[in-house]
Amino acid sequence: MLSRTADHLYWMSRYMERAENIARFLDVANRLSLSGGARDACWRPVLTIGGGEPGYASGQGEVTPVGVIAYAVLDGANGSSMLSCLRAARENAHAVRSVIPSELWESINATWLDAKTITGARLREQGLVAFCDWVKDRSHLFRGATYGTMMRDEAFHFTRMGTFIERADNTARLLGVRAQGVTADTRDADPAEQLHWAAVLRSVSAYKAYRTLYRDGLSPAGVADLLILRDDMPRSLHACLDKIAVDLQALCASCECTRMAGGLHAELHFGRLASILGGGLDGAVNSFIDRNNQLAAQIHADFLMGV
Amino acid sequence: MAFDEMKAPQGGVRSSYRAYENWLLSIAPDTLPRKHAQADELFRRIGITFNVYGDQEGTERLIPFDPIPRVLSASEWSRVESGCIQRVRALNAFLGDIYHGQEILRAGIIPRERILANGFYRPEMQDLDVARDVYVHVAGIDVVRVGADEFYVLEDNLRTPSGVSYMLENRAMMMRLFPDLFALHRVRPVDHYPDLLLKALRTVPPAECDGEPTVVVLTPGYYNSAYFEHAFLAEQMGVELVEGRDLFVDDGKVWMRTTRGPKRVDVIYRRLDDDFLDPLAFRPDSSLGVPGLLSVYRAGGVTLANAIGTGVADDKATYIHVPDMIRFYLGEEPILPNVPTWKLENPDDRAHVLEHLGELVVKEVHGSGGYGMLVGPTATKAQIEEFRAKIVAAPASYIAQPTLALSTCPTLVDQGIAPRHVDLRPFVLSGEQVALVPGGLTRVALKEGSLVVNSSQGGGTKDTWVLEDDAC
Repeated sequence: MLSRTADHLYWMSRYMERAENIARFLDVANRLSLSGGARDACWRPVLTIGGGEPGYASGQGEVTPVGVIAYAVLDGANGSSMLSCLRAARENAHAVRSVIPSELWESINATWLDAKTITGARLREQGLVAFCDWVKDRSHLFRGATYGTMMRDEAFHFTRMGTFIERADNTARLLGVRAQGVTADTRDADPAEQLHWAAVLRSVSAYKAYRTLYRDGLSPAGVADLLILRDDMPRSLHACLDKIAVDLQALCASCECTRMAGGLHAELHFGRLASILGGGLDGAVNSFIDRNNQLAAQIHADFLMGV
Repeated sequence: MAFDEMKAPQGGVRSSYRAYENWLLSIAPDTLPRKHAQADELFRRIGITFNVYGDQEGTERLIPFDPIPRVLSASEWSRVESGCIQRVRALNAFLGDIYHGQEILRAGIIPRERILANGFYRPEMQDLDVARDVYVHVAGIDVVRVGADEFYVLEDNLRTPSGVSYMLENRAMMMRLFPDLFALHRVRPVDHYPDLLLKALRTVPPAECDGEPTVVVLTPGYYNSAYFEHAFLAEQMGVELVEGRDLFVDDGKVWMRTTRGPKRVDVIYRRLDDDFLDPLAFRPDSSLGVPGLLSVYRAGGVTLANAIGTGVADDKATYIHVPDMIRFYLGEEPILPNVPTWKLENPDDRAHVLEHLGELVVKEVHGSGGYGMLVGPTATKAQIEEFRAKIVAAPASYIAQPTLALSTCPTLVDQGIAPRHVDLRPFVLSGEQVALVPGGLTRVALKEGSLVVNSSQGGGTKDTWVLEDDAC
């Protein structure tokens, strides 16, 4: 496969996944603010998670719900706004439309054609929750079309890898919001913390799973366990690395990126929460994000840059 | 009154449209507009769009699709088909000749300077042998009709003719919208076009190629107006769609960059103009091409389809000579005649044309896409005067033709069904054999009375049906 094609496929799915995750972050913020959370504590994380804080500050200044929503959803100058992501996903898909199944292309194209009509006024009228749900639906459709129609060939592996590299990064960032001081022993949380971790779980559709798996109450350590180590939780770091390792193994068993992914995967597969959180959840999250970025860079070097 | 494809001159409908008319009378009045809207929606979703140069706002537009088919009977088609094959055989022979011995120039049939001083004549091609002596692997021959038995060739497109994806998508759309119509008609299929194309490309590997040739489609990229078509054809043929930056030259061969390292490329179906192919040989500012491509091509390391330098044969100044080429190379009489054409460098012709500008069509010799042309009967006084000045300033850059009453075909417009002028572009493939699928792209001028069918000028398209047998 052409290196450029692989690159487009990989970024197509990364951008689609990113759009979905921004919807999830906004969902957390919205839930918290409805439960009476302080404005800044609720909405600033949307900016920090997305790495958009400097960009926002220079354009808007004070953190307000309307400002954050406009920036994270609509702002074309913000490369990681939902609209920018959906546009980038569509542009990447457009460049490889001869390679991907037509159903996949049509779903991405239709998503963009609808998304680009959204304005501040329409977003208000429709409501943030409805819009975020719609973006999540479109992302599910994208993944379903990918999984249901693509040949299990190189194109498929690059597409899947984009999804899981991005998702691993986003889950880690989500965990990092109130990570300071959290260790494997942090079993108690004050009511405000409780609300926060419940919102985190709900944003990744993991609340019910948590309740079923962890009989004791909601605790930061429990949430960290679920979203880092449980391989049966599809948005956990472990689950993402499971997929990445398999895709890389299929693409090139002897490549450097495959070795790196294997190492990272082994730590999540065999590691214990106490040692992973030894330096605190924030340290664990930052270290994971760095290594995930290094892995992504190695994938680029091994496949996407070409000769 | 122009000849109508559906209505017979003596009243009633022509036989090829009989079943269609019965169907039309049987459906609810809102059926066509409803299906039309549905088609628009589907095309937009599929992303069959067309980028318009110099149009900021609508950079991606749909080519209007008309839901009423253009129907040709088996015998009408067989004439167009054999005429197109004959023409393309002669044009390929002509290109082989002028890039080798130049017999036709020696015989004085075409003036030497007209060819050798032509900007599209490529000295780089002189004495270069191409696989199977095929220069034009894909040709679009624009055919117009003015009467029941009167077909003319209006133009040959021998460089990178486009539109074939619309032929295929229009058929797919019609089958989706009107399955019942296909049960009532025996319409000859067109969807094997990509197979024919791939087969043709595989039969022209370069001299330096062992084993199955690797074929790719080379596109300028997704901002190009015909990007959809490039992607579509690559997908349908199951070959890579490459841009210039995906290819490189090394060791006298062309390679593409893949996730598993470099891979050899043998046949390039390129949808990039000559000028942009190789910045080392042609335009140095081209970032779309492949540095060193020409040297590999000249050494027989790669096939380009179409070959470099075919523009010299589809130029409107060369067009005049195609009937002579057919006689010279094939010893046959042209099956499809040319439209009578005045050469404006010739003083008698020029005087006549300048006197009758209001009745004639004037075209730029090197123009295409419906740009730079004057349609006398619909032009304003100012436009006519503008062309008069241009012709006087550079007569050799223009030709003139009578304003043909192009045939009309019933077309869905805001007010209902009305006749609109159409042409037909069949796509002729040359490899081991010369072949075409039954049909082509019917373009329709949607504006009342307009004779300009180009999509860049507001034209639309129709599905073209070639019926299996003549209806009795």
